[in-house]
Amino acid sequence: MSFIARDVRVVVCAGTGGVGKTTIAAALAAQAAEEGRRVLVLTIDPSQRLKTTLGLSDSGETSDLKHPRIKGSLSAAVVNSKKTFDDFVLRSARSKESAQRILNNKLYVQLSTTLSGSQEFTALERLYEAVESGNYDLVILDTPPAKHAMDFLKAPQKLGALFQDKITRWFRDPKGGDKSFLVGIFQMGTKQVIKALEKLTGSEFVRELSDFFSSIQSWQGELEERTNNVHRLLVAASTQFVLVCSYDRSKLLEAFKFAKAIRQDGYHLHSLILNRAFPEWLANRQDRTFPSDPAGQMAAKWAGYFEERRKNSSILSELQNQSVQIRELPEMKEDIRTLDGVFEIVDRLKEQT
Amino acid sequence: MKIHLVTGKGGVGKSAVAAALAYRCAQDGQKTLLAELGDESFYQDYLGLKPLREGQTVRSPLGFDVALWSGASCLREYALYLLKVESLYKLFFENPVSRTLIQVAPALSELAIMGKVTSGPPRNVGPKLDYDAIVVDAYATGHFLALLKAPIGMIEAVRVGPMAEQSKGILKILRDPQITNYHLVCLPEELPVQESLELDREIQALVNVKPYLWLNKLIDFPKSLKAQGPEYEKDFFLKQQRQDSTQATIEAAFKGRWSSLPFVFEADETKIVAALAKGVKR
Repeated sequence: MSFIARDVRVVVCAGTGGVGKTTIAAALAAQAAEEGRRVLVLTIDPSQRLKTTLGLSDSGETSDLKHPRIKGSLSAAVVNSKKTFDDFVLRSARSKESAQRILNNKLYVQLSTTLSGSQEFTALERLYEAVESGNYDLVILDTPPAKHAMDFLKAPQKLGALFQDKITRWFRDPKGGDKSFLVGIFQMGTKQVIKALEKLTGSEFVRELSDFFSSIQSWQGELEERTNNVHRLLVAASTQFVLVCSYDRSKLLEAFKFAKAIRQDGYHLHSLILNRAFPEWLANRQDRTFPSDPAGQMAAKWAGYFEERRKNSSILSELQNQSVQIRELPEMKEDIRTLDGVFEIVDRLKEQT
Repeated sequence: MKIHLVTGKGGVGKSAVAAALAYRCAQDGQKTLLAELGDESFYQDYLGLKPLREGQTVRSPLGFDVALWSGASCLREYALYLLKVESLYKLFFENPVSRTLIQVAPALSELAIMGKVTSGPPRNVGPKLDYDAIVVDAYATGHFLALLKAPIGMIEAVRVGPMAEQSKGILKILRDPQITNYHLVCLPEELPVQESLELDREIQALVNVKPYLWLNKLIDFPKSLKAQGPEYEKDFFLKQQRQDSTQATIEAAFKGRWSSLPFVFEADETKIVAALAKGVKR
């Protein structure tokens, strides 16, 4: 049986930074491709090593991977945040001039490159595009690094707020004339609010901000529609979340909270993967006694440490009862450098399916 | 007055090392604040604290304060300080439109956080933070660089006015090695080491201060390990080789500005922090 069922169209790989999300996303993709599906894995900010493994380039182009075990197809791409954002602007703007005006806005440059939330927006934008293209049976999204797993789901709403009608109306001149932003505000009777903003930030900042908001007016409709469509895609039963986690107590607590929140908001949690749960040599060994030479003593210490950490999993017992699949993956002996290495993880997952 | 900014690749133990640094400072008799960023607390569970919400500060049993700073909470505090008039402040922050605007205006919340982080030393802007040491469990690599770039980008975008002045003041403190220390947390593995080397270069390019590196989770392997033998010994041997070669890479790049921290064989977080605190003395 497949770990990811055939009717699943999208898998979102979530989890805090450094737990091995990207590698696991690649493994889930490889497994589905082995089963004959056409799969795309979208990654954000991958390491140089993984880029080499997956044949990725920063330009955001899709690369097709070859391996004897792939029966369908396996493609991979990096989400280039700035490029996706710029593409969106060019597509949504009414004219070339208005697109250029926003691309040149200093605050837009900051927004598209550094603002927290924009990476998440572009990741979802790219995901939606890939699903709509019809070129793939399954798209797997590796989420951007975040302090909390939940940040990913909150981000688009945050960014969506930027385009709320109320805000853009603030900056819109009702008569469509060439009135300044401040005149517009005055008409809305919110002069004092702007005064406060000016006092806080200075008039030059307010000017840039005004320019920014009046330039993005034209996106509003498209963005709202996009946000709704993306949300519909994420809550669909054919979209499943896979949470990657470690056995650290604090990480497990967070995973538990995430699992609860995700269901409350109507998303579907497929599984929880506990990565680097134990070293491979410990998995293959029934006997827990070790010789008393220095290496044996160290092995006994490791074994005890991993047993102790595993007890933290009691935090998850409630999840187990809710039919969320829980899988453990060992700490691999060597860093994964090739597709063979990715398929080795596939085999470990299969052992438990 | 010292500010310790702690960063590194995700999953390397940043938060544990930041807590250990704070614990160390507190043990040395300094009035210490451990600040985490974001709108949800990590340390609340990690250190077993009372509920900690954004903008709040609670006392840790380890003898230092812990605060949770979000962009919104920092901005609110700064605005109240600057606008002074409570009614004007309320008008601004209780207006739903301006509240959303603040949340999403590019770079505003990053800037507010950096303003808060640097508000300890005398700067005459913003409410003063009264601590001897402020340890910030800052974001991982990419997001951390965004924090550093916020005041720099703002000075480029806006040259005059309070926003520019504020940014210049922040940057001055970030560039003062007598006040601000940068700590990179790293693991003896290929990926985190590569990321640390890049991060080291980028931080120096942005603020011209040399970061200090903590090579975390170094395992004290027995000397007599062999490449042959039981499975576990082969694994240890490989790990030891990898560990040695990463140490050589680190030594070449960070000569004299790095130390190692031991792997702590504990599942209990407070014990891990206490063990690391012994190691972070330099």
